[in-house]
Amino acid sequence: MRHFGRITAAAAFALAAPFAAPASAEDITIGGLFPFSGPNAVYGDVLSSGAKLAVKHINADKMLSGELSIAYEDTQALPQPAVVAMQKLVSVMDVPFTLSSFTGVSKAIAPIGGRNEVVMVNGGGVGPDLAELGEYFWNVIPLANLEVRASVPYAVQEMGKSKFALIYVDDPLGASILAEIESVLEEVGGELVSEMSVAPSAQQFSGLAAKVRSSGADAVYIASYGAQQVQIAKQLRDNGVDAQMISYSAYGVPDAMSLPENEGAIFTAQAVQLDSEDPVTKRFVEDYRTEFGEDPAPYNVNYYNATMLFAILAQALEEEGKEITGANLLAKRKEMGSFDLVGGNVSFLDNGTLLFPIDVKVIEGGAAKTLATVEIK
Amino acid sequence: MLALQLTLTGLQAGALYALTAVGFSLIFGSTRVFHFAHGATFALAAYLFYAVEAAGYGFVPGLLASFAGAIAFGLAIDWFIYRPIQRDEGSFFTVFVASFGIGIVVQNLIGMIFGRSFVTITSPLSRSREILDGVYVAPLAGIAFVVALICLVALGLFLRTTFTGKGLRALSDDPELVRVFGLNPRYLSAAAFAIGSALVVPAAVFTSMSSGLNPAIGHHVMLISLAATIVGGIGSIPGTMIAAFIFGLAENLSLLWFEPQWSEAVVFAILFAAIIARPSGLMGKSAAR
Repeated sequence: MRHFGRITAAAAFALAAPFAAPASAEDITIGGLFPFSGPNAVYGDVLSSGAKLAVKHINADKMLSGELSIAYEDTQALPQPAVVAMQKLVSVMDVPFTLSSFTGVSKAIAPIGGRNEVVMVNGGGVGPDLAELGEYFWNVIPLANLEVRASVPYAVQEMGKSKFALIYVDDPLGASILAEIESVLEEVGGELVSEMSVAPSAQQFSGLAAKVRSSGADAVYIASYGAQQVQIAKQLRDNGVDAQMISYSAYGVPDAMSLPENEGAIFTAQAVQLDSEDPVTKRFVEDYRTEFGEDPAPYNVNYYNATMLFAILAQALEEEGKEITGANLLAKRKEMGSFDLVGGNVSFLDNGTLLFPIDVKVIEGGAAKTLATVEIK
Repeated sequence: MLALQLTLTGLQAGALYALTAVGFSLIFGSTRVFHFAHGATFALAAYLFYAVEAAGYGFVPGLLASFAGAIAFGLAIDWFIYRPIQRDEGSFFTVFVASFGIGIVVQNLIGMIFGRSFVTITSPLSRSREILDGVYVAPLAGIAFVVALICLVALGLFLRTTFTGKGLRALSDDPELVRVFGLNPRYLSAAAFAIGSALVVPAAVFTSMSSGLNPAIGHHVMLISLAATIVGGIGSIPGTMIAAFIFGLAENLSLLWFEPQWSEAVVFAILFAAIIARPSGLMGKSAAR
């Protein structure tokens, strides 16, 4: 009877197997941890569009033995859902590589990735401590300390603004920007006259505007992200704050650009020459415009580069007959040293961070215009 | 001057909170349905106004669309979600979970239809003017305050003087007695949902012009409405209104002493203090007799 059961089960399996989902062993999946719901959902589409274009290019060029795809997971830009999503990617989907975004999210998933030897590449979070999350955590974006070091001296020395108010979100990113601004202002002769932290979920800032006005600040640095950063800007202007608004790369999203109250605001972003003749950049820019009908923003570049970086490393591993694992990807990155990505030939610092020059941009007529490019050493 | 400025800002916030909280209080007090999707009604009303206004049809059509959408949504939830659950003797908790789910579904639908970005209606009414040295007030703040007072006084008169209003008050006291007197609780329940949903519209419209919208905006509205309903006394419209103004003022005046990140915590500290000191709320009826 026991034999009959086994035979029946085996027969059922044999019959069912051909009709099961086509499980191609050669197909390769990597993870994508982005916010697709909640107040920061706007970043989900912005961050994933560059990665989607990279997948299209990689598969069109047949860089890998199988089709590459990205398993997207919704983090809501919050650490707790991100940890659940990362566990799924690591334990269920067994990915060797994942894209990450947001400082809090990245810090939450880093121990899981490190323990399981999964490479995590961040192209959106800018908290300076993202450079210290272990060798499996890489950054393809200049971190906020570098951005502050570009924008604050520019505002003090070129725009004559010396009294700063800082509005920062109460999370690791905000805390790190506070520390960096205090330090940079001291160096360049400015003064932090007011600092105000806001809860990540806060949406009412008219009272805060009153405090900014009473502080006498002539510049306000907004260190938030998502819908909140735009709400802060609008409510500051609506409530009589006419100080120069300054922010960082999170401002490079369409909501911030299109808000009339943001006219004249300055922000920083990594410098990318979109009109470069370098073939990788040219192809990316042309195809991005065709695919999405607009110029790519730095975030689009970052996640294109992050995904392309995986393909370059995985291709090299496959050519050597090596398995695509996190450990092998890490070893190959160290071995190869530099990569042809959008923006030119780039190399990683020892802490796994790519170094780019930083643009100081101003919002004019709903678009960003570069005021200065700062070389970061 | 900062204290005066924060008081004025607090009154503006309180007026908006009062309009949303009173709607929730009316529904909860009359029907005992924990209408968590009230926040979704707010978001829907705000986005409908935004869509019509941004499409160039103007303020009045936007306002009408917002009223129509909010009332239709409130009635639809009452008829198609809550009543079948209650008919099947679903518990208070089942209704709450259903309502919570609707809130999430609506948030995601708004994100799918209108996008997940921040949107706002640019209006000169939201730009502040200096009325005293260092004191700025936007015309919208005054309008919001006056509209809130008109709506709340009108609601008070409606509940006290009209047959349906008296029925709603009776429904909150004793639904069985309402049946004995030949009144239709279903009709009264629908009236509560229609009026409660309509009350969020002015606040939703003002919010779309002042602080702007994102699909998740309903959550904050719901939290404040819930807290104001409990602190004011469940079923007490004047109590809820007073609590909403207390929250608006506390949230803003707390900036004199605390970091802005604690302003929401101040609201909930008041909530806890009120629950401990006066469990039935500022103007609620004591359960212990």
